[in-house]
Amino acid sequence: MGATSNASSANATSRGIHGGFLHSCELYAHRPAIELPDTMLTYDELRNRAMSLAASLQRATPSGGPPLTAVFAYRSPTAYVGVLAALLAGHGYVPLNRSFPPDRTRTMLLSSGCRSLIVDAQSEPQLEHILDLLEEPLLIILPERTDASILQSRWPNHTILGAGDLGPVAAWQEKPVSPDSIAYLLFTSGSTGLPKGVMVTHRNVTHFVDFMAERYGITEQDRFSQTFDMTFDLSAFDMFIAWERGACVCCPSRKTLINPAKFIQSSKLTVWFSVPSVGIFMKRLGALKTGQFPTLRWSLFCGEPLPAEIAKSWSLAAPNSIVENLYGPTELTIACCLYRWQQGKSQEECLGGVVPIGDPFPGMDVLIVDEELREVASGRDGELLMAGPQVALGYWRDPEKTAAAFVVPPGKNQTYYRTGDRVCRPNESGPMCYLGRVDHQIKVQGHRVELGEVESLLRQEAGVEVAVAVGWPVTASGAEGIEAFLMGNKLEPQTIREKLKSKLPSYAVPRRIHLLSEFPLNPNGKIDRRRLNNLL
Amino acid sequence: MPALSAEQVRSLVLERVQSSLAAKGLRAEDIPDNYDLLTEGVIDSMGILQVITEVEARLGITVDFEDLDPENLTVIGPFCRHIAKKCVNVEK
Repeated sequence: MGATSNASSANATSRGIHGGFLHSCELYAHRPAIELPDTMLTYDELRNRAMSLAASLQRATPSGGPPLTAVFAYRSPTAYVGVLAALLAGHGYVPLNRSFPPDRTRTMLLSSGCRSLIVDAQSEPQLEHILDLLEEPLLIILPERTDASILQSRWPNHTILGAGDLGPVAAWQEKPVSPDSIAYLLFTSGSTGLPKGVMVTHRNVTHFVDFMAERYGITEQDRFSQTFDMTFDLSAFDMFIAWERGACVCCPSRKTLINPAKFIQSSKLTVWFSVPSVGIFMKRLGALKTGQFPTLRWSLFCGEPLPAEIAKSWSLAAPNSIVENLYGPTELTIACCLYRWQQGKSQEECLGGVVPIGDPFPGMDVLIVDEELREVASGRDGELLMAGPQVALGYWRDPEKTAAAFVVPPGKNQTYYRTGDRVCRPNESGPMCYLGRVDHQIKVQGHRVELGEVESLLRQEAGVEVAVAVGWPVTASGAEGIEAFLMGNKLEPQTIREKLKSKLPSYAVPRRIHLLSEFPLNPNGKIDRRRLNNLL
Repeated sequence: MPALSAEQVRSLVLERVQSSLAAKGLRAEDIPDNYDLLTEGVIDSMGILQVITEVEARLGITVDFEDLDPENLTVIGPFCRHIAKKCVNVEK
């Protein structure tokens, strides 16, 4: 048994994370692979579109760049075709998101060094902004546009292809995939004000997918939610686990996600995966009623602390499903710890009303350490470090930040990732519990925000030396929004906010900027954030 | 606890998002019935929840949104009529 699963795992690695998809295409060609609000693509259709696009990438991508293709598409067929096309072309994919400020998207595109970009119709209007000042020639593919010649004359420097210019499927050449090549490059909030790219490899994702697909007994009958945007790595769970086994990914519109109750029912979902915030919203809107979601087999949450109250309500609303709380930063590939909710027993294991993060996946090693990276005594709290096959390669073109976060602690001989999360295991044999962030990285409505990044932009835009951003109001899962403090009275908060709006995703823009004559300090002479919170 | 008409709920909601509307050069009276606060970027998903909380506090009731089409949750007309309808039901 052990030997068999090892062999299949090694085989999957050499096929890449899209290997499972190609295998499912052979078995389930006419079953749905992806359902969107207005369209459905079968495995066969998705493969053909992706291969034709991949053939064009292989033919026309300008040389000299890294093996990466950016996908600038949002909840559209092109988004999924694009991801698979990048992988089939032997590239990693770099997801971009038109709901981010175009400046931020341009920064990501520039720092990735991508020479090829796939764009859907609705993201196209932002190209004007994103291609501005871009010197390197790019291959830009617009699969939803029949004729791209107008755009070609607008940007003669780049090669622009529309649907009519795409290569035949037969032109696609299969590329061997090195397990250690990048499967996706995902940008997350960075403390210096620049997003940092996490390099996640085929080996990383394959380890995750093999374990999860088996654990959840996924078959071609399953129907997955896709609540996460592709710029959130949890979206990879839905795509690659579903496609590994011939299941269908059901992608709702952004609006439907505010209250997806009807969507869960009408799409007959069997696997639900979202941030707990979605559950919190639904409960608030009266949409979590007992027995509402009988089709669900699995209800999974990740991305922020899961309030026990939501786990409980959800398990009543989806009585045939098992609720699991997943934990994992992007650097540890989607998720690496999990906890199964059990009505009754779990209540006692919750800390501060938050569901435990449980135990590491097989093959992943946990270390809870103090500031010197030495293991803390049993039962004590400390920073969570993890090692194993899901530890990402590091940060793209940033050896300094990589060295700071991917470390070999004293007395150890493998690389651990410093999560920056404070955890403890209250009982030696019990699950791990999440306590909060070690640094100032917080979750705002489920999105990861480095307060340092917000502060650095505030300083820059306001021309001041000290700025403080705090998460406020505080919720069980992080914060609802950001509020900021600046010293000075000649500043114009509204103008500063407007400037930040063009640089940060909306959830990270301070809702209010408070002007103070001085900052309260703690006994160590540091700005006292707690007292600032009291001012709100 | 007074019941509110859909018009009154509308005024309450639009008052709440006044500054975002003003930034777009819009006045409350310019807003058509089918105006979508979310897709127009006036409000985010957390904002809609805040509006709901405020209106509920004002009315002293909890509004159930289960039977409102999710696509209409952030559309001003249907949203306000839904709340008005719910508060009439409570009155009865």
